[in-house]
Amino acid sequence: MKQRLVTKFKWFWAWDDEKEEAWLADMAVKGWHLESISPFGIYHFQQGEPGNFVYRLDFHILKNRDKDSYLQLFEDAGWEHIGDLSSWVYFRRPINGSQIPEIYSDQESKIDKYRRMIIYLAILLPIMVLSIPSVYRADYFGPAASTILETLGTLLLLLFAYGMVMLIRRVAQLKKQSKG
Amino acid sequence: MAMGNIDRHLPLTEATFYILLALVTPNHGYAVMQQAEEISQGTVRLAPGTLYGALTSLEQSRLINLAATEGRRKIYQISELGKTVLREQIRRYQIMLESAVRNPELWEANSAGGEQL
Repeated sequence: MKQRLVTKFKWFWAWDDEKEEAWLADMAVKGWHLESISPFGIYHFQQGEPGNFVYRLDFHILKNRDKDSYLQLFEDAGWEHIGDLSSWVYFRRPINGSQIPEIYSDQESKIDKYRRMIIYLAILLPIMVLSIPSVYRADYFGPAASTILETLGTLLLLLFAYGMVMLIRRVAQLKKQSKG
Repeated sequence: MAMGNIDRHLPLTEATFYILLALVTPNHGYAVMQQAEEISQGTVRLAPGTLYGALTSLEQSRLINLAATEGRRKIYQISELGKTVLREQIRRYQIMLESAVRNPELWEANSAGGEQL
């Protein structure tokens, strides 16, 4: 059988990463296995035998040296590293038996993943706030373009702020789960 | 020994306790996962994401040191501070254990539907 490839674009919110994992697992059940990921959420799948796989997304900002040992640890533990989408790291492993393997074995370290995303946004946000006025003032593209940039910049800023709120809510939700 | 100094590391979580114990001899991450599971008699199973985070924070708080690198693997070992903390944790566990074992009511023949040990 000639192997087929399919490319899909799909957008996921950072706080909904579990939906993305479920979607990837669902594709694998249909025989489409994630082969690589390109920027902006472009997923490349290869057709093969349908199978039960668990997909997990981790979030890290790592130096190259640390990343090597980090990926090695996951590989040693049986996880296949598929690729990265900015700071997201995609892992997969086949499901044998009834137990679903996890990359986090306790709630606290799982919460830490979302905390890293919040820190990431908290670092980016002031950079954006500071850079937007300089874009506004840049008159290279004329006043009309300036207005468009201003609107886009503000929308992006609102999106970031919204993301921050949603991630903080996700952390609160996970904390509640660990108590219940 | 400055007790105030090690107090902030205590109590250790179950996972951290076994990680430190597994690093009394230098080991890489996956060996720590295997040993923790073995010495805890299967009660502690560490997933790689959790272990990676734990190793990073233990290194930052200087309870473990980077001993060597083997290819892409980092070999860690417990530090002197780590040993001090681990011994103090064990001493506290002993106090807990002895006080509980000595309490006869707790061990009365499965009185209130308690579990048998």
